[in-house]
Amino acid sequence: MDKRLVSVVGALVVLLAIFAIVMFGLGTTESLGPFNFSVDQATLPLRFAFVVVGVAIAFVVYFLTKEHPIWEVGTRHVVYMAIGAALYAVFSYLFNGTVFVVPSLSQVSLRPAIAIPMFFGYAFGPVVGFFTGAVGNMFGDALTGFGLSPQWSIGNGLVGFVSGLVALFGDKKKSMDTVLYVSGALAFLAAAMFFLNRGQANMLFYDVDNGIFGDQQISLFAGLSIVIGFILVAVVRFAFGQNVDIAAAVTWGMLGNILGIGFAAISDIWINGFSPAAAIVGEFLPAAGPNLIFAAILVPLLVVAYSSVQRQSGR
Amino acid sequence: MLVAWRYRPRKSLVQWFDPRAWVIFYLCFLFSTLAFWDIRFLLPFLGIALLWLFTSGLRWNEVRRPFLFIGMFVTFFAFLTFLTGRGGMELYETEHLIRRYEASFTILGWRPALDITVERAFFAVSQFARVFSIAVMTILIPYSLNPALYGITFKGLGLPDKIAYAMDLTMRFIPTFARDFQLTMDAQRARGYELEKISGGLIEQVRKLGPIFVPVTIHAIIGSEDIIDAMDLRAFGIGPRTWLEELHYQRRDYALIAIGVVILAASVVAGFAGLGNFWVPEALIRWATGG
Repeated sequence: MDKRLVSVVGALVVLLAIFAIVMFGLGTTESLGPFNFSVDQATLPLRFAFVVVGVAIAFVVYFLTKEHPIWEVGTRHVVYMAIGAALYAVFSYLFNGTVFVVPSLSQVSLRPAIAIPMFFGYAFGPVVGFFTGAVGNMFGDALTGFGLSPQWSIGNGLVGFVSGLVALFGDKKKSMDTVLYVSGALAFLAAAMFFLNRGQANMLFYDVDNGIFGDQQISLFAGLSIVIGFILVAVVRFAFGQNVDIAAAVTWGMLGNILGIGFAAISDIWINGFSPAAAIVGEFLPAAGPNLIFAAILVPLLVVAYSSVQRQSGR
Repeated sequence: MLVAWRYRPRKSLVQWFDPRAWVIFYLCFLFSTLAFWDIRFLLPFLGIALLWLFTSGLRWNEVRRPFLFIGMFVTFFAFLTFLTGRGGMELYETEHLIRRYEASFTILGWRPALDITVERAFFAVSQFARVFSIAVMTILIPYSLNPALYGITFKGLGLPDKIAYAMDLTMRFIPTFARDFQLTMDAQRARGYELEKISGGLIEQVRKLGPIFVPVTIHAIIGSEDIIDAMDLRAFGIGPRTWLEELHYQRRDYALIAIGVVILAASVVAGFAGLGNFWVPEALIRWATGG
């Protein structure tokens, strides 16, 4: 086995070991001081299997394509990683509702900065996309002075990572149709969970007027925003069917957003002891749904502008 | 042109240590603070944060803006928690009323009232101590870490050369892009664009963010070509990287790391032992209930 493969396998084994200790060891107790690692023991093996499957899928993607040039990191990638992460951090800080208040409506606050990891992942590959999302989110959080949320940084990293996997496919058109169907199925599945849990609180909503955080029932718009976002992305995909780059960027960005934010939200089942309904309906929907609106509008603008730059510079 | 953080060499406690030791201590401090809601446990952390701040050599006019911003933000939310009681309800089940203020008027039959309880007051104080401690330590980082040492610091913390250098560049680019954002804003304002007054439907509002997002992003990408060329000309990534400045741990650095690790270990043990949960003084509860 080559050296690079050994280090990747080692990292994944360590990750699984941490999950195993938390779930099988600490998960049997109700709570340990301020930490709540409790896991429903009836479904514990199933949940751990889910973690193994998630890690295995990521590894299989890498293993099957480890000879592909998208995993190489050269000078250009290092600089793009830094630019993407810095831009994401700056935009996150400026638009997080403290410096510029981006319009929010019906319990949904909008994060235009999410377009950055989607675009950088699509344009420069999964490694750049992952670094942009993960490190950019980390510095964006740190800039506001309120510490870090590691699982959400990784989730944001996955948004860029998955967006960049488009480069693995020779036929972009075929791949984006598959991605569109998969994303659509996931979006409607999440929306169905919303209808089955209409009383669920919106965990991300802070109502300044009434001082309510995380305990107001999720609104219809917040619950259905992922379907609205999916429809917007589908419209862009078919309206710009001739421009494969725009169509592929928005569809892969959508899948990245659903899987990345989904990972972060689902991880809160273990990390914060949320119920699956609270994680999916209360966290995932109000975060991932509005992001799709930016995927559909800002990502195409960036793709078109970058294409012009490439034509002019010849690089 | 790169814009730098407001770092300058100062005779200060924080700059007396190796940056790697300081970052490790910061991370230990961060995770330790998050383990507690008990004000008795949080006050020492606030004390440590203030010690670093007051020995940092920073002048008020250098840090006025971030401190006013963070200070107002933290105070506002702590005060809001105090007024509404929201936010701390997961940590306490019963409340002991100190005083109830009722408005002399009604709005559609509802009379606004403010309940001051022991739990709300202590939760607000605990929340303030917790968040402000972390904020103080975080604000110190860009002012006290030498930008020339970012790369070697991350390398010294165990990251591979390329990732360490990417982290270095990220920290250097952040103030530059913040400046570019402001310049672009000013240029667009001169053309009649006002980000603060975006109107229209949701999709229209999002589309109107384009004149800010696209130029800042594309300008950053175009500007990177010079950096890429410069790095390529110096054979970046061909072999193991050497760094212009090297860091060497001194005894004091090991001591700082040891203190950080001991604080973290003690916090974890205290957390597992059930210590450090939200706390209010018994005497205050007795006083509130007239006992």
